[in-house]
Amino acid sequence: MAKMSRYIDSLKVQIKNNFVREAVYRSNFITMVAVDLVWMAVEFSLFSVIYSNTPVLAGWTKHQVFFFLGVFFASDALFTTFFQRNFWQFSDLVNKGELDILLTKPVHPLFLALTRWFNLTAWFNVVLGVGVMIRFAPQAGFAGGWKWLLLVFWLLVGVFSAVQIRFAFSIWAFWTERSWAMSRLYYQFFAFATKPDSLYPAMIRYSLMTAIPFAFIGSVPARALLHGLEPREYLQITLVLIAFMVFNTFFWRRGLRRYQSASS
Amino acid sequence: MAERSLKPSWLRWVWRVAALKNGFKDATAYRIEFLFEVLGAAVVPAAIQWVLWYALFKVGGMNEVAGMTYTDMVQYTLVSLLFSQVRGGDHDFELSELIRSGQLSNYLLRPVGVVEFIYIRGVAPKLFIASICLVIGMVLGLFFGFDPMRMFGAMIMALVGNIIHYQIGAALASTGFYWEEAYSVLMVKNMIVSLLSGELIPLNIFPESLQWIWKSTPFYLYVFGPVQYALGRWTHAEFFMQMGIASLWLVAGWLLVKISWGLGMRRYLSLGG
Repeated sequence: MAKMSRYIDSLKVQIKNNFVREAVYRSNFITMVAVDLVWMAVEFSLFSVIYSNTPVLAGWTKHQVFFFLGVFFASDALFTTFFQRNFWQFSDLVNKGELDILLTKPVHPLFLALTRWFNLTAWFNVVLGVGVMIRFAPQAGFAGGWKWLLLVFWLLVGVFSAVQIRFAFSIWAFWTERSWAMSRLYYQFFAFATKPDSLYPAMIRYSLMTAIPFAFIGSVPARALLHGLEPREYLQITLVLIAFMVFNTFFWRRGLRRYQSASS
Repeated sequence: MAERSLKPSWLRWVWRVAALKNGFKDATAYRIEFLFEVLGAAVVPAAIQWVLWYALFKVGGMNEVAGMTYTDMVQYTLVSLLFSQVRGGDHDFELSELIRSGQLSNYLLRPVGVVEFIYIRGVAPKLFIASICLVIGMVLGLFFGFDPMRMFGAMIMALVGNIIHYQIGAALASTGFYWEEAYSVLMVKNMIVSLLSGELIPLNIFPESLQWIWKSTPFYLYVFGPVQYALGRWTHAEFFMQMGIASLWLVAGWLLVKISWGLGMRRYLSLGG
């Protein structure tokens, strides 16, 4: 219990520090929102252009795709709020020896490594994403009502998946001099998450549901909310995420053994 | 300006060549990462485009979209890869960072203006990529029946597009003189460019009523224009007319940079040592 409260206290301090920092850079809020609005607009425009040529795309109507975009934006914004900056810092943490400080603290170093930085302004984009979902839910055929509660579960699945995948791309910082190429690669692959998985041919789709499960971030949650999933898919999601956790834990431990402090 | 005119012109050329070499060495110092970046930037967007065509034509059973068949679309996607590698670059972000951090001061006394210097350094890896893409395009052209000279002209257009893109980026980066968040302005520009350059989809599939949007920006000259010419969908006359339009955009971009940086430099304060 004491251990748990230590973690909660630590988290409170982190949130407070981040809130103060963001309050100093208020214009950052406006620009972040503007950037994300344009990003949303580009994605909506892209699909609008495609749907001006066809009523259905791989079984998805335009409004269903817009609903998916809402789920994806909300899920991604949650990841951005709580984790993105920490992953950007991860390489420096290892290669510049900043991990030293975290290793001496009375909480798990990984907990501190992943919760040091928040991007609280991105929270607004979660609201925007949910707004998009609400706007297009009736036309997309989403039943609504109590099923909105499932949204919370699926957003958590989306964020958890994003953390696991991003970690798998970042952990190589222990073995490489600078790991930004891997980060870039993550964002290149991330583009696959911006489209519903049913669009992809079988082989790519299989990869997006197993080896690089970007479909779990927005597409699978949207599909689960709109049409429901088969029992086999629930099992698949669970097994893939467990496999990622095992992989990440293994390499984190191996990485720590390799870590040589500031000279690493 | 008076200071720059005191520098002999040969010195400025030496600087330009040195900046080009320096930029190339800098970008390729970590070869594996350079390769990763180029491949990642090429393969993933192409795969996503192909997926859209696959969903439309193979899954959706369509035969034609905006007059283009599945083969036309795949051809467009593959050839657009060659030009989307040439467009853009992050050097306008470097300019905004120089202004924000105050490091701009270090560049003010050099023989070449800072906007030009950063461009030359940033464009070096793009020139290298452009030459590789040109060779690939010409060789593929021989196999698939495209005119290699068209590929050459298309690459010239893509390079002109690269300059226009930087000019717009440099003008937008000058907002850094007034506001700390020029970075976001550049991000917004890049997102709009990704759609309106033809990198994501061929622009002729835009609904007729919305075609004016991409036609009224220079962004289509980065990828869509070169692909149209390389694939023989533009006549030579149309190509030269578009190059004329590109020249006008170049002049407009040059003026924009002159004015925005002239105004910005009046506000710039170089504090500290």
